[in-house]
Amino acid sequence: MTQESNSSFPKGIYIHFPFCLKKCSYCDFYSIPGVSASIRDQYTQALLHEIDRQAAVTCSSNPIQSIYFGGGTPSLLSSGQIARVLERVNARFQVDAGAEITLEANPATLDRDKLVGMLEAGINRISLGVQSFNDNELQMLGRVHNSSDVFKTIDIIKSLPLKNYNIDLIYGLPGQSIEGWLGNLQQLMSCHPRHISMYLLQLDPVTPMGQEVDSKRMLLPDDDSVADMYYAGIDYLTGKGYRQYEISNLSLPGAECRHNIFYWQAESYLGLGAGAVSYGKGRRWRNLPDINAYLNCCQSQETCPIEELEHMDEQGIISDAVILGLRMTDGIDLERFSQRFGIDLASYYKEVIKLCRAQGLLEMEQGRLFLTKTGYFLSNQVLCRFMA
Amino acid sequence: MQDKIRNFSIIAHIDHGKSTLADRLLEMTGALSQREMREQFLDKMDLEREKGITIKLQPVRLKYQARDGQEYILNLIDTPGHVDFSYEVSRSLAACEGALLVVDASQGIEAQTLANVYMAMDLNLEIIGAVNKIDLPGAEPEVVMQEMENVLGLDQTEVLPISAKLGTGVIDLMEAIVKRIPPPQGDEEAPLQALIFDSYFDSYKGAISYIRVVSGQVRKGNIIRMMYSQKEYEVTEIGVVSPYMTEVPVLKAGEVGYLVAGIKNVKDTRVGDTITGANHPADKPLPGYQEVKPMVYCGIYPLENIDFERLRDALDKLKLNDASLFYEPETSDALGFGFRCGFLGLLHLEIVRERLEREYDLSLLATAPSVVYKFRLTDGSELYISNPTHWPAPQKVDQIMEPYVKASIMVPHDYVGGIMELCQEKRGLFVTMEYLTPHRVLMTYKLPLAEILYDFFDALKSRTRGYASLDYEVIGFEVSDLVKVDIMLNGEAVDALSFIVHEEKSYFRARTIAERLRRIIPRQMYEVIIQASIGSKIIARENIKAMRKDVLAKCYGGDITRKKKLLEKQKEGKKRMKQIGHIEVPKDAFLKVMNIEED
Repeated sequence: MTQESNSSFPKGIYIHFPFCLKKCSYCDFYSIPGVSASIRDQYTQALLHEIDRQAAVTCSSNPIQSIYFGGGTPSLLSSGQIARVLERVNARFQVDAGAEITLEANPATLDRDKLVGMLEAGINRISLGVQSFNDNELQMLGRVHNSSDVFKTIDIIKSLPLKNYNIDLIYGLPGQSIEGWLGNLQQLMSCHPRHISMYLLQLDPVTPMGQEVDSKRMLLPDDDSVADMYYAGIDYLTGKGYRQYEISNLSLPGAECRHNIFYWQAESYLGLGAGAVSYGKGRRWRNLPDINAYLNCCQSQETCPIEELEHMDEQGIISDAVILGLRMTDGIDLERFSQRFGIDLASYYKEVIKLCRAQGLLEMEQGRLFLTKTGYFLSNQVLCRFMA
Repeated sequence: MQDKIRNFSIIAHIDHGKSTLADRLLEMTGALSQREMREQFLDKMDLEREKGITIKLQPVRLKYQARDGQEYILNLIDTPGHVDFSYEVSRSLAACEGALLVVDASQGIEAQTLANVYMAMDLNLEIIGAVNKIDLPGAEPEVVMQEMENVLGLDQTEVLPISAKLGTGVIDLMEAIVKRIPPPQGDEEAPLQALIFDSYFDSYKGAISYIRVVSGQVRKGNIIRMMYSQKEYEVTEIGVVSPYMTEVPVLKAGEVGYLVAGIKNVKDTRVGDTITGANHPADKPLPGYQEVKPMVYCGIYPLENIDFERLRDALDKLKLNDASLFYEPETSDALGFGFRCGFLGLLHLEIVRERLEREYDLSLLATAPSVVYKFRLTDGSELYISNPTHWPAPQKVDQIMEPYVKASIMVPHDYVGGIMELCQEKRGLFVTMEYLTPHRVLMTYKLPLAEILYDFFDALKSRTRGYASLDYEVIGFEVSDLVKVDIMLNGEAVDALSFIVHEEKSYFRARTIAERLRRIIPRQMYEVIIQASIGSKIIARENIKAMRKDVLAKCYGGDITRKKKLLEKQKEGKKRMKQIGHIEVPKDAFLKVMNIEED
């Protein structure tokens, strides 16, 4: 039997802000381009209502370890608005004193005053969506910032007592060479981030860029080239003292993103805001991605309409935990897994493990089950076999 | 009684409007009300209706009030419109006194149609020509009528212009049937002779035979005998189809109807057999009976070995309704347990395979179609082989023979050069060439059947922009320089991919197939080397580089459900793969690899 119970929900809180200055050409998340001051106010107000309501129905005995403002572009909110939301979370939930509190930010939306205000509000980690240091690439991605915005923002951050920041980069762009990609990483080094997410560009066909590629007006680098970029990137950053802890994430030791680790360790989290997903007890649901419905029901003190995404049985919960857990380079601690889920993975998935090990994609050593380095970029071949 | 009966067939090329004409006849004779009417009413299978092709219509009895004030019975007996079923065509025609030749006003006569009309003429049938689709913009009825006169000797002034879709000219057509087709003239008092021209299996009644009574009469309760199989049965029901099954007390000479006699299997009521009375049998059966032999073979395997028994059950059930389907169990190192199946032709193969998958919910894997090869061995014995795996050792072989066909190709004269080139490529031998009109040519070639199986039809269409039509009949075995090519994946021969090819073409085909496999087999964890060999000699080689990328770069809280769906799909995709050694091969690879033209 699983050991999860209501008293441990949630371990983290995710707050979604589904607005952007402009929609990026590769983005398939729920967000709306353009946002007015009044919408920001109303949305903040609605978040406060939802915090109240959710706090009333959850009774966690464990303090919240992580709060994450994601989007969209949550850095479009003012520091005052962020402060009000965080105050309310602190008032309604028990938040650990050392909790990681992250704000996703677009470099073009930050200035010194705003950053100072964000820190005062309680933000202690910034995740910057840089994506590239090459202005042509940024333009192709439809980003609103350029590389000089990035350096300005980094200079400001470095002058503040904020040490924990992440930079996102994308590789595998049309026309990008391995040299071009490594050039981006060299620029990145001058920013001294503690945490780096490097993502392969994977396009949903509904995005403008996805359609360009589908219609062959844009050509992505082939599989061999992107695999070379991936491993060259990992090797380069490892050489600079970063440790890879997940398929696409690296950090200086100790600076792993706690919030994301919750996802991959199948820990529970509460999502607030329109379109935000929550997880607990084998169930995933999300607030409907409809701004007006969200604002209306919050104003009228009603519960926000949700959409059930998944309701997993025991088998489903286990396979979910494996699929997520294997994304991390440390993999799965078999002993801990068996305490938590009551099964011995090594025998439960004996045949699959044997096959994947024979293919050189998976390894089992010292009580851990983990992907090999070759396995990272071929992980779907492993993960799909663990599907319930 | 007989002088009010007219028995006729419709001869038409696929798409020339046979089903639509049948619909109009049903409607205009009042056999069906508007409410009961649906398109292609007489098409038997869903598959036919779906594909928009009609292999064969149900026979039907229509009552027609003619202009002379008399009521006539018109029996429509269809001919299958495909080269795979030419024996059935001949038996349907043999059940009639006349035939309607329906030709599309913009397409003209096609080779297949021509062959069937010649067959009807040989059987002394009265031919009524009709030019259909005269309502369409591209229609050239005069040109087609002229062609019918030149090619078939029909009087063009007697050819009727019609539009089956709109009903134009259909009454005149029925009048012509009444006036020009002679009534049947069998002796009602003579011993029973009834020709079986079709049969099907009904799960309640057993095998149901469609018959034309040529002489004598048959009633419920009669003991009948099948003159070829010599089996005897008691008739439990007779009736007519109008267009629903209606019991009648007696079917007499000249009439067409159905007969039920507790027959368990359609193979006991073979098309072409003669039914006679067990007590007063006829002296001899009606002429023309043949055992139909499969022309084309392929291996059919369940994707999951566990489904073998289900596949056997499904084949047993299909066989109840399809006397020409042949199958026997076989084993393949690569594919496990399955069946070697024999078919009348490629369409027949495709229909059976689709029905197995669709009606019996089986996931199947089919190997490339093959003809039967005949061997004369050094010890003087003969051997027939339909599966390349059973190819005898070369030192034991004295002579190898393969089936040849006589192919008739009708084509506008502009394309004669292209056809000659194609037939030469396909090892064809020129026989004759005849101008049917100043613009249309009938070319006859001798060709190996195997060449027709691969891609001949597609090549013919693409080289003549669809204007050529083809008919063929098997004429026998001829000595040929054939070799067996084996395909190896990472050094392991995959028996199901072996193929037979003419020696001169072996290198080319081996290279094509190796290259095709390179494209069909997805990248695997390891490099895959594809080799083609004749004996121990490697004649082609390709390699598939190892897979490098298969990853979901991002997977966070809001996204997990969606990403899991992708993994779910991928897991399902693995089910469409056949594991051969360490290599995952898509199940359709075995067929796809032989479709040379599909590039």
